[in-house]
Amino acid sequence: MRPQAWNEKIMRGVFFAAASTSVLVVAFICIYLFHNGALALTKIGLWNFLAGTVWRPNIEIFGIFPMILGSIYVTLGAIIVGVPTGILTAVFMAFYCPQKLYRPLKIATDILAGIPSVVYGFFGLVVIVPLVRDFGQALGFGGNGNSIVTASLLLGIMILPTIISVTESALRAVPALYYEGAVALGASHEQSVFHVVLPAAKSGVLAGIVLGIGRAVGETMAVIMVAGNQARIPTDIFQGVRTLTANVVIEMGYAADLHREALIATGVVLFCFILMINLGLACINRKNMTKKGK
Amino acid sequence: MKIKSMLTCGLTASVLTGLLSFSFIGSAFAEWKSSSPVTVLSREEGSGTRGAFVELFDVLGLFQGKKADLTTADAQITNSTSVMLTTVAGDEYAIGYISLGALNDKVKAVKIDNILPSIENIQNGTYTISRPFNIAVNPKTQNAATEDFIAFILSAEGQKLVEKAGYIPAAGQKEFVSAKPKGKAVVGGSSSVSPVMEKLLEAYKLVNPDADLELQVTDSTTGMISVINGNYDIGLASRELKAKELEQGLKPIVIAIDGIAVIVNKNNRVESLSKEAVKSIYSGDTKTWAEVLK
Repeated sequence: MRPQAWNEKIMRGVFFAAASTSVLVVAFICIYLFHNGALALTKIGLWNFLAGTVWRPNIEIFGIFPMILGSIYVTLGAIIVGVPTGILTAVFMAFYCPQKLYRPLKIATDILAGIPSVVYGFFGLVVIVPLVRDFGQALGFGGNGNSIVTASLLLGIMILPTIISVTESALRAVPALYYEGAVALGASHEQSVFHVVLPAAKSGVLAGIVLGIGRAVGETMAVIMVAGNQARIPTDIFQGVRTLTANVVIEMGYAADLHREALIATGVVLFCFILMINLGLACINRKNMTKKGK
Repeated sequence: MKIKSMLTCGLTASVLTGLLSFSFIGSAFAEWKSSSPVTVLSREEGSGTRGAFVELFDVLGLFQGKKADLTTADAQITNSTSVMLTTVAGDEYAIGYISLGALNDKVKAVKIDNILPSIENIQNGTYTISRPFNIAVNPKTQNAATEDFIAFILSAEGQKLVEKAGYIPAAGQKEFVSAKPKGKAVVGGSSSVSPVMEKLLEAYKLVNPDADLELQVTDSTTGMISVINGNYDIGLASRELKAKELEQGLKPIVIAIDGIAVIVNKNNRVESLSKEAVKSIYSGDTKTWAEVLK
């Protein structure tokens, strides 16, 4: 064979290896997680584990239902706080923003994306927690500020950059024809933006929201610092909760034996959550593709 | 452009300071009311500090027929001493517990049965809320360097460093003469024991520069498992060793005694609590401060 053909072959191998790395890593994580998690699940029992409301590792009672609820509550809260704010910010940046304001706004959202979550957590602990405590007590709910509300506010802020940047690029990807057509038909600027361009960018916006949800579900450090982490079902939104991620991180350091396995099984549940979110995203994309194909 | 971005920065800064001062003033003007509910703070399940705390205050009882840690499910959970300190410093109605060595002047240490937690009171036996800091070795794999280092820790010199770090010496007053062996050893485990271990290692390196000792900060369980696996030569644990770990051949050595201080906010009027009162608060029977002030 000529040297060129050899080069071709070698490089093909290199690219193949690079491309398979991520696939292999995902496969290994899956195998490791499910193998170890399955051990705990068979010992504890799937139903006892998922639907059990008592978490007392020191006497080997492992029920993660409060944590599943906790993750869902906090993520819902983050969506309520983050999604409208994020989408409106993106619309503003794409269609309303004066040239001079654009750069500082863009820089601010980029910085927001780059702040480590520990810093968010500390900010939440010293600023948002006291505010929510005073607010909650003024409303007569009580609680000491480490609550669902606090975690939702903080997570809502944390998912903003993801939603803003994805939504903005989706809005910008809509052909200018749409907007121009709408205006030519007599629609106002607002009508064109909100009734024509935004619906046209729907799939991109949804993708942004789903990515944001993924971040909210997986966020750990910041949530641990402000959520209170009580392993029981909360009765109002000014009470603390423990999320799935918090459950793993808080107790992993000292866990041994079945307790450790139960924490890995918690990781499996979390992993399934993320898988579902990604499947949802894939569905959105596919639906969109077939629509465009027509 | 520059002016605009500076303006944005300035605005953000002033909003932040505004928020901070609001929360500060808010808490400074509110009067401490004993009718308010207690915010119970606890460490996570499996933590060495928590294990010692529930044992010493007897927050134990039967749960579904098994002897268990009965800390109330409403207790807010954190896995970090600094979050515990920050929360108690910020929440006027909070109660928590930390290692005596980590106590600072932002919170108030409560007397237990009228005895102030201090090194003197632990040494003279009046303050009984304390636990051992352990190191563990595998007698089969010990080398000359680890033996010499352990002798140093337990010597008068080493124990003086332990006392300086805020803990109570656990061993005799033997003078230390290094055999100056050459060798490598890895020390690792509990993040509670690590700070004092770091000081011991530094001092030992001055005595015997030939030994190559390395410290890895992880957690108690990882420390013990790593010694069993042979990855560490000396493991650190801020708790008693578990039966399973002893079965696998680990030999524990107590290097220091650490007091546990019960802490409250500085505005709290409570100065002293009985052991029963602490137990009653942590088991969730006592809900307000008024009940323990009587």
